[in-house]
Amino acid sequence: MNQANIKPRTGLDSAKVATIVVLGSETFFFGTLVSAYLFMRGVYPWPLDGAPLSRLVIPAANTLLLLVSVLTMYLALRAARAGGKAALVTWSTVTLALGLVFVGGQVLEYTSNGMMPGDQGFGGVFLTLMGFHALHLLAGVVMLALIAMRARLGDFTPRRHTAVEVGAWFWYYVAGVWAVLFTILYLI
Amino acid sequence: MTTQTGTFPYMRRAEKSKFLSWALTTDHKRIGILYLVTAFFFFLVGGIEALLIRLQLAAPGAEVLGPDAYNQVFTMHGMTMIFLGAMPIAIGFANYMVPLMIGAKDMVFPKLNALSYWMFIFGGIFMYSSFLLGGAPDKGWFAYAPMTMPAYSPGMRMDFWALGVIVLVVSSTVGSINIIVTILQMRARGMRITQVPMFVWNMLITSFIGVFAFPSVLVAAALLLLDRQLGTQFFNTGAGGDAMLWQHIFWFFGHPEVYILILPAMGIMSEVVPVFSRKPLFGFTIIAFSTAAIGVLSFMVWAHHMFSTGMSQIALLFFAADSFLIGVPTGIKIFSWLATMWGGKIRFTTSMLFAMGFIVMFVIGGITGIHVASVPLDWQVTDSYYVVGHFHYVLFGGTILGFLAGLFYWFPKMSGRLLGERMGKLSFWTIMIGMNMVFLPMHYLGLAGMPRRVYTYPADAGWAFWNMFETWGAFITATGFLFIIINIVMTLRRPATHEADPWDGYTLEWATSSPPPPENFDSLPPVRSRRPLWDAKHPDMADTH
Ligand code: HEM
Repeated sequence: MNQANIKPRTGLDSAKVATIVVLGSETFFFGTLVSAYLFMRGVYPWPLDGAPLSRLVIPAANTLLLLVSVLTMYLALRAARAGGKAALVTWSTVTLALGLVFVGGQVLEYTSNGMMPGDQGFGGVFLTLMGFHALHLLAGVVMLALIAMRARLGDFTPRRHTAVEVGAWFWYYVAGVWAVLFTILYLI
Repeated sequence: MTTQTGTFPYMRRAEKSKFLSWALTTDHKRIGILYLVTAFFFFLVGGIEALLIRLQLAAPGAEVLGPDAYNQVFTMHGMTMIFLGAMPIAIGFANYMVPLMIGAKDMVFPKLNALSYWMFIFGGIFMYSSFLLGGAPDKGWFAYAPMTMPAYSPGMRMDFWALGVIVLVVSSTVGSINIIVTILQMRARGMRITQVPMFVWNMLITSFIGVFAFPSVLVAAALLLLDRQLGTQFFNTGAGGDAMLWQHIFWFFGHPEVYILILPAMGIMSEVVPVFSRKPLFGFTIIAFSTAAIGVLSFMVWAHHMFSTGMSQIALLFFAADSFLIGVPTGIKIFSWLATMWGGKIRFTTSMLFAMGFIVMFVIGGITGIHVASVPLDWQVTDSYYVVGHFHYVLFGGTILGFLAGLFYWFPKMSGRLLGERMGKLSFWTIMIGMNMVFLPMHYLGLAGMPRRVYTYPADAGWAFWNMFETWGAFITATGFLFIIINIVMTLRRPATHEADPWDGYTLEWATSSPPPPENFDSLPPVRSRRPLWDAKHPDMADTH
């Protein structure tokens, strides 16, 4: 984009290098939140301990949904690499839709388990872990909407589709974060 | 695509307006200058706050500020110096110099660069607007829970703190990412990552520290806001939260932050000392590794700010040992500068004087740092003026003196004019005398029991003399800065000489005119070593063999 005449020294596109750094930073962001949660669990009993297995239905379904969206994201990326415009539009839209359903499911889960922000320290932890993750997912949804729009306009070629590559990294990353959150919130 | 670099596409219309051509600029040199000027302004505001603090403390029972105003002023002094002064000054130097030193045309993301500047100035104005809207933050720069909880801090003061921190930290994160990617991607042909000038290397490490440390304070500020506005209970020990959680999260950012504040100045040192000693930097590789080691270790010492909170024995041992350890790479740097000077042809320019002042002051701050890193000593002096003395020796004697060395060194590049040397030396000695008058007695006062963050003290405590002495010192220091401002103004009124390389420098920023043209370089000398310009000027003594 900028300074196109200078060859990037790492051999990677600058947007990709920046994305790697951003995701590193995000890891410290979620790492801090997770540490706060684990710290609390060291001090107080976690309210979801010993909850019936049926409590897991919504979060598990949600998790499954997100896993599927990782797959459709990958299909979108493959389409972009192969220059399949229609497939790219379709798969990025499907991914986006799955993301929205996931966020809806998270809202359902949040309201159904009855933990309110002001309930002890944990209410807040639950809110922020779920909330900041959902915000990231919504950011991913916006990225996907832009990708689908640009794909429709024919902005991408098999050689030039950095936005899709970067969008996919982000999407995988946010899904990965959820896998960690799911594990520590519900499984241990 | 763009025929004219350094501007937004719609700039050409605005070209005629001087104001707009600066306000809409994306040129790294202009953004660098905007950063430096704005941050210097905030630095002066923080300095005026320091003078108010010193006036209030000059005599026991003084009535200059009163307790409530005092708390706001010392909190904003700390916040200003850290977030609005020292950090953005470093980013300003980096903005101007990093692309030049690596032979690039601009930063890699010029528009993001403009964004981080505008977020910075917005954050600063936002934070200061609190003075007019019910009062400024008043709980100290590290804003300990539970003091910040709604029960003890009604009103909006701490909301200003939290929101201001969020804006400023996002701005710094964006800036850091830009610096990292620029250094990784935009180096001139032939310049390996191990050959970047030490200032560039230090900015790379600093930016990495920032990118990994800022998220913690972002989380801290966000959780604080939620506690205050949504009624969550993160930091409310009585209601299922834990006040200690705040300290852990904050200091996980807070300690790396102090290295964010010192490493850029150390980078400047590693440019200035070799050039004015006519020798290459001694042990370049070791210094480079020591910077990286500091970067890693800085994330493992946070709890040495919490020795007095009743941590377990094992945690005390671990964090004390770590803190001693981080003294090692720091000491290595000092020895390397000394070894660089050893046997060199030293030119005592103002820039070099400030650099030498840095070494002496920083060693004092480093030694008292080792003191407060040892648990029993820290238990004695924590929260006393000993600590205030310690960190001003590193922040003022280190960071600020380093920046002043950088100012005298790079001002000719930025403006095409050399700052006055006589005036410069006058300001150097004034500042040196002043700062030692303020900060040296603080160690004694701390040992004599004077706590920090108190707005006054009893007359029979025996602290009055040194407090008055310090206040005089503060005004002498301020006079030194007045000399610097006069120097800058008078120099700018003289016609420019546009000398490209007044110091007979080593690195690429001196290979172009002063100030450089919009695209920085017409042509670059070949880069085969760490001192490409030296090689070009002295082929017979080149570093490459
Ligand atoms: C003439 C220069 C300066 C003077 C006279 C001065 C004076 C002071 C004093 C007396 C305090 C303690 C207030 C109290 O605990 O009640 C203080 C705190 C502080 N100063 Fe300075 N200072 C100066 C420059 C700086 C610089 C250059 C920096 C940083 C780059 C800095 C950073 C801080 C910080 C972080 C605090 C702690 C605030 C807190 O307790 O929350 N100061 N200063």
